[in-house]
Amino acid sequence: MKSVAIYDPAMCCSTGVCGPSPSQELARVATDLQRLIQSKVEVKRYNLSQQPGAFMRQDEVRKLLTEKGPNILPIVVADGKVRVVGRYPTTAEFEAWLVEVERVAHK
Amino acid sequence: MNATRYLFFTGKGGVGKTSVACATAMNLADAGKKVLLVSTDPASNLDDVFETRVDQQPTEMADVTGLWALNLDPEEAARAYREQVVGSYRGLMPEAVIASIEEQLSGACTMEIATFDLFTRLLGDSAQMAGYDQIIFDTAPTGHTLRLLALPKAWSGFLSASTHGASCIGPLAGLSEHRKRYEDTVSALANATLTTLILVAKPEPPALAEAARASRELGELGLTNQQLVVNGVLETDEGDRVAAIFKQQQAEALSQIPADLKNLPRHVVPLLSVPPVGIANLRLLVERMRRPGAGETGKSIVYREDSVAKNVPLGLEPVVADLDRRKRGVVLVMGKGGVGKTTIATALALALAERGHRVHLSTTDPAAHLDLALAGAGVEVGDGFSVSHIDPVAEVAAYREEVMGTVGAGLDADGRALLAEDLASPCTEEIAVFRAFARTVDRVEEGFVVLDTAPTGHTLLLLDATQSYHREVERSTGEVPEEVRRLLPRLRDPELTHVLVVTLAQATPVLEAARLQEDLRRAGIEPAWWVVNQTWTGVPTADPVLGSLSWAEGPWLDKVVKTLAKRAVRIPWQIKVPKGREGLVQLF
Repeated sequence: MKSVAIYDPAMCCSTGVCGPSPSQELARVATDLQRLIQSKVEVKRYNLSQQPGAFMRQDEVRKLLTEKGPNILPIVVADGKVRVVGRYPTTAEFEAWLVEVERVAHK
Repeated sequence: MNATRYLFFTGKGGVGKTSVACATAMNLADAGKKVLLVSTDPASNLDDVFETRVDQQPTEMADVTGLWALNLDPEEAARAYREQVVGSYRGLMPEAVIASIEEQLSGACTMEIATFDLFTRLLGDSAQMAGYDQIIFDTAPTGHTLRLLALPKAWSGFLSASTHGASCIGPLAGLSEHRKRYEDTVSALANATLTTLILVAKPEPPALAEAARASRELGELGLTNQQLVVNGVLETDEGDRVAAIFKQQQAEALSQIPADLKNLPRHVVPLLSVPPVGIANLRLLVERMRRPGAGETGKSIVYREDSVAKNVPLGLEPVVADLDRRKRGVVLVMGKGGVGKTTIATALALALAERGHRVHLSTTDPAAHLDLALAGAGVEVGDGFSVSHIDPVAEVAAYREEVMGTVGAGLDADGRALLAEDLASPCTEEIAVFRAFARTVDRVEEGFVVLDTAPTGHTLLLLDATQSYHREVERSTGEVPEEVRRLLPRLRDPELTHVLVVTLAQATPVLEAARLQEDLRRAGIEPAWWVVNQTWTGVPTADPVLGSLSWAEGPWLDKVVKTLAKRAVRIPWQIKVPKGREGLVQLF
């Protein structure tokens, strides 16, 4: 695995973690992403309210967003393929991706 | 005054920043300088002030040699920015997607950054600026904006790998090629030989406290060349009782002036018997500023318009009667700081309790509790009447700590610095007190809940959007508290929730309240009442200056009644500061 792109929902200007109880979830994702970055995976993160163009340029993302509306976000794309829709990957999924990265690196 | 090239005026809405800036500009032009006056105040009425049409290009003012003015509208700038982001996707993306983006870009942050962008563009236009000796701005950037722009992370790699998602800097994300322009502006601001920051306040505790906060915050950023203007000091004294009390209240506020302001060079601007509108009146203001204490001389024009003011019901009684018909309800008393929200919320809670309702009063002002407890009135805090205190400072500190400890833990040092500054944004306090707010509203099951603070419509919409997507994530875990889930439907129910918009009968406060109402309407909440506080119409005074205030407020009361409020009441300026039961019943 070489690249991961997260297509986030339109998020609040103050921290992106606003809301009654979301901080644990986003914190975990931020930490897991940091580990991918350390393993030299290219991680990109797009916020709907700031980079809508990115959502239009990715064909599958555009299709999902156009058909299902903004509540379908977040969408996670790895190496150009949609992998997770409507939620963030679990830590187990991130770990599986890390294993994939390691395997490629050792080849 | 030996003025620096740039003068920035700052202060709470309604203190007279634009008036003082206009008078200063006229004074400098009269002294032979070539002056450019820049207004970014959405309530600015430069057209009326100078009797000349002012637009986005510098225009020379008729009858004031050497003075040019231009008007920049930050709301328009924010709108243009939103359009720049979403415009090309209209029709390509579903309406719901466009709407969710637009809401994100409708907060205070977007407008702040958009305004700063206007500043920098103007200051960066050296060809145009070179023609002027003085450039005067009737607003100043906030400390939050300036600190944010100084962070390396705000510029480096923000677009490509921001692991915490979004930021206040977001609205500038597409403009990173202008970084040099922003840096030049910030360094010009912090240059004491180039820039003077003029803090404008009325001789009232909330306005002075706000000026002190701005002084401290901007001082820490290097804007140390500061001066204080105390605007609206009553100087007449003709033995009138109301005038004597009014003067004493002003003197008291000034004797307790915050330490940050004490040692600043201070200018006193007298309260005029005419609004500073039109060249003749503005010239009068300039005269008075040059020689304070000299008394009012010269020609002035008094505006006497037909006003509906006298027909607006006096006192809170109609509001209480409306609530009294019901068994329970959420009463949200909303408005900008300093308009008297806590006093009005406390008075309403007291009245409802006295009529036998179970009442819970929640206030951000710890003094309100004491005030009631000491009132020695028929209503005791206890049976059927309770008071709680939401401490915004403590809530914000707890929220910050939580976010830094969780989200912040996954970030590098620069990322943490940016996150910390985002947490100092104007929205953070609202989000932080939100949970306490939701808990309090939940008590409506028991009777009336009266709150002197509430999130804006923008925050409610954002939190609702966040919640709807987290609902998917957390369906199994049930992490979203029940009271939060019930909140927005409750606030939208006009039978249950009654929003009171509190304002003063002056240009900027009315405009700010109108903006608040618009924002609530976007969230599907319709304010039930407007309360225009501290009006002068009908206050028995023979003082010529105070007496004239009722004429000045007429057009604003008219605007509230005719175009903004479904129903309105007004509360006259009180001879006795409304404290304790005795003081609070004055308001009915």
